Amino acid sequence: MKSSVEEDDAGWSLGVPEKMRSNANWVDITQDFKAACRELNLGELLHDKLFGLFEAMSAIEMMDPKMDAGMIGNQVNRKVLNFEQAVKEGAIRVRDLSLPELIGIIDTCFCCLITWLEGHSLAQTVFTCLYVHNPELIQDPPLKAFCLGLLKLCDIARDKINKAAVFEEEDFQAMTYGFKMANNVTDLRVTGMLKDVEDDLQRRVKSTRSRQGEDRDPEVELEHQQCLALFSRVKFTRLLLTALISFTKKETSAVSEAQKLMTQAADLLPAIHSTIHHGNQPHNDTTKGDHPIMMGFEPLVNQRLLPPTFPRYAKIMKREEMVEYFSKLIQRIITVCNIISTTNLHGILDFFCEFSEQSPCVLSRSLLQTTFLIDNKKVFGTHLMQDLIKDALRSFVSPPVLSSKCSLYNNPQAKDYIDSFLTHCSRPFCSLIQIHGHNRARQRDKLGHILEEFATLQDEAEKVDAALHSLLLKLEPGRQHLACVGTWVLYHSLRIMILYLLSGFELELYSTHEYYYIYWYLSEFLYAWLMSTLSRADSSQMAEERILEEQQKGRSSKKSKKKKKARPLGKEITMSQAYQNMCAGMYKTMIALDMDGKVRKPQFELDSEQVRYEHRFAPFNSVVTPPPVHYIQFKEMSDLKKYSPPPQSADLYMAASKHFQQAKLILENITSPDAEVNRILKVAKPNIVVMKLLAGGHKKETKALPEFDFSTHKYFPVVKII
Amino acid sequence: MATENEENGADMQSESEESAYCLARQKLESLLNKNMRIRMTDGRTLVGLFLCTDRDCNVILGSAQEFLKSTDSFSQGEPRVLGLAMIPGHHVVSIEVESESLVNSSQGM
Repeated sequence: MKSSVEEDDAGWSLGVPEKMRSNANWVDITQDFKAACRELNLGELLHDKLFGLFEAMSAIEMMDPKMDAGMIGNQVNRKVLNFEQAVKEGAIRVRDLSLPELIGIIDTCFCCLITWLEGHSLAQTVFTCLYVHNPELIQDPPLKAFCLGLLKLCDIARDKINKAAVFEEEDFQAMTYGFKMANNVTDLRVTGMLKDVEDDLQRRVKSTRSRQGEDRDPEVELEHQQCLALFSRVKFTRLLLTALISFTKKETSAVSEAQKLMTQAADLLPAIHSTIHHGNQPHNDTTKGDHPIMMGFEPLVNQRLLPPTFPRYAKIMKREEMVEYFSKLIQRIITVCNIISTTNLHGILDFFCEFSEQSPCVLSRSLLQTTFLIDNKKVFGTHLMQDLIKDALRSFVSPPVLSSKCSLYNNPQAKDYIDSFLTHCSRPFCSLIQIHGHNRARQRDKLGHILEEFATLQDEAEKVDAALHSLLLKLEPGRQHLACVGTWVLYHSLRIMILYLLSGFELELYSTHEYYYIYWYLSEFLYAWLMSTLSRADSSQMAEERILEEQQKGRSSKKSKKKKKARPLGKEITMSQAYQNMCAGMYKTMIALDMDGKVRKPQFELDSEQVRYEHRFAPFNSVVTPPPVHYIQFKEMSDLKKYSPPPQSADLYMAASKHFQQAKLILENITSPDAEVNRILKVAKPNIVVMKLLAGGHKKETKALPEFDFSTHKYFPVVKII
Repeated sequence: MATENEENGADMQSESEESAYCLARQKLESLLNKNMRIRMTDGRTLVGLFLCTDRDCNVILGSAQEFLKSTDSFSQGEPRVLGLAMIPGHHVVSIEVESESLVNSSQGM
C-alpha cells in the first residue's frame, strides 16, 4: 500500500501522460462542476483517498505573484521573442554591429555572468542574452568569439563548482536547463577565435592612433577609443578563459600559469572601467523590472523554463560594480594559486581557514578545492593524502614509529598498524578540508558533525598507541610510545571544537546572557586542553631530538652545536595562551556585569538556561576525549561560593582586566605580529581600561546595558559602557 | 404529535438536500484522477489530473502543464511543467474534461 502511495506521489509532480499530447475531445463542464462544488460543505475537501490535505499544501498557487512564475511573463504587453524569431523579425542584428553596441552587449554579459556566480540561475542571467543561445547564427566575428568564450567560461566554472561540491542552494544554481554550452567547439578553437579578433582590433587600434603633428579628427579619436575598449574586453575574456582552462590541467605548473594569466587580466580592468561609457547604455523600462534593456537581451525569454517553485528575481549587477567585482574575484583566484607553495597538512588547513575567513565566492572556493585535491585522488595531483598526513603526524609529535632511528620503523607489524591508521585518517581530513570550503554559515553545522568521525579516529589512535607501546617495550626497553598518535588526533578535535564555538559569535547566534558559559567553556576547558596537548607534543618532539642528538654524538665526536632554535609549536602555544586569556577576561566580565544587573535575561518559561547550555554544546557529546562538561558540572565548577569570601563584581572586573592585560603582554612579545595579533590587541587594550573603570565603580548605578562591539574582532567584543 | 410531524418535515427536507449533496459528490468523485483542462482569468490554460476541490471551486491539478494563450492547438509553443498546482476558484474561467472520461465514468455509475 505504501509503495503505491509513493508512486502516485511521484506521478502528481512529474510525468506527462501520453494522451495529453494528442488532441482529445474536450467537453465543457464548467457550470456542472461549479454547481456541484457549491453543494459541498464549508471546509470540506473532495479528494481521492490517496490525496490528502498534506499533499494539497505543497501545490503551488496559481495567480499568486509570490508563487506563480508564469504570471509575470504573461502580463507583459509585448511579444517575447527567442533568438531565431528575433533575428527573423529583424529585432536584433547578427552582423555589422557598431562598436558601442558590441561594448554594451559585452558589458551586460559580464554583469550577467557575475550575477550568475552570485547564486542566480543561468536562465535569468547569462541566457537572457539571446546571442548565446546559438552563437552559430552570429556573423559578426567579435560577437561570435565573445559569446563562445562566455559559454566556455560558464561551462568550466560550472564544472569546477560541481566537482568541488562546496556549494548549497544559496551559493549556486547548478541547473543548465538544457542550454548548449558550446560543447561542439573545442576550448582551443575558442581561445584561437578570441585571439584572432584581438589581433584584428589591435591593428585597428594602431591605425587610428594619433601621429605626431597630425590634426586629430575627433571621429578617428573616438573610433580609437572604442576599438581599444573592445580590445580590452575581448582580451580580458580570453585571459579569464585561458586561466580557467589551466585549472583543469593536472600539472601544478598550470596553476602558476593561471596565476600569471590572472595578473594580466587584472591589468586590463582599469582600461575596461574607464571605457564603460562607450558602450550602449541600457535604458530602464519599468515593464521589464530591474533588468537592463539592450538589443540582444530578453529577460523573459526563459521564463517558461523556470522550475515550478516561487519566482526568484535576479537583480543584474550594475556595470560600475562589475569591474570592482572582477578585480576582487581575480585577487581571490590569485590567492588560491598560492596554495601550491604550502606543502604540509597543517599549513594547508590554516590556509583553508584563513581563505574562508574573507567569505570568498563559490568559484574561488571551488577552485581552491579542486586545486588541492585533483579528481579527489592526489594532493596537487602528485602526493598521496596518506603521505601528507604521515608528514604532519611526524612533524607534530615525532612518534618513534615514524622515526628512521627507531626499531619500530622497519617492523612489519608496526608498519601495518600505522599504515592502516593513516589510511583511515584520509577521509576525515579530506572532509575537514572540504568543510572549510563551504560558506561560513554552513561550516558550523558540518563541523559539529565531523566531530563524530574524529572521535572514532581518536579511539583508533589510542589503540594504535597502546599496541605500538607494547611492541616497543619488547624491542627497546626504556623507550615509550604513549599518547603520540592520540595527541595529534586530539589536537585536531580540539581545534574543531574551538572553531565550532567561536563561529557562533561570528554568526551572531548567541544571546548576551549566553556569553559567559561559552567563554567559560573555551577558556577553562578547551584552550586549557589545547595547551596541554600542544606542550605534550612539544616535549615529545624534544625527546625525539634528544635521542637523535645522542646517536649522532656516539657516531662522530663532533660536538653538536647547542643553538637555541625556536620551538616549532612555540607560536601556536603563545597564541593559545592569548586566546585563553581573552576568553577568561570575557567570562569574568560577563559574570561581573550580571552581578551588577547589566545583562538582560529572558523570561525562562518554556526553556531554561540548562536547555540552552545543552543545546549549545550538544555536538561535543559524541566526543570521548575531552569529555563533555555537563551543565551540572559546569555550575559546580564555576560556583563563586567556593571562594571565601566570594568575589564581588569589582574583584571580577579587576581579574578580567588582568586577563586582558596578560593577553596584551603575550601578544606584544610576538616578534612578527600578523593581522590577527593586531586585531586582538585592538580589543584587549580598550577592554583593560573599561574593566578598570568598572572595577572603580564607574557608572555602577546606570541601568543602561553595555554594548558588545564585534566589529574589530569577530570572536571578541570591545565592551562599551554607555 | 405536532413535534413529530415537524421532525418528519425536517427529515424530508434534509433528505432531499442530502440527495443533492450525494449526487454532487458522486459527480465530482467520478471526475477524480481524470484529465482536466482549466482556463484561467489571465488566459493561460492548465492541463492536469483532477485531484481535489472544495466549495469555492478551488481546484488542484496534478502533473499540471501550463499552456499559453493559444487554447485550441497544443502544437503552438511547448508547455511548461508545473507539477502540483492549485487554481483559486475565482480565477477559474472554464473547466473541460475529455469526452471519453465522461463516457467511462457514466458507464462506471
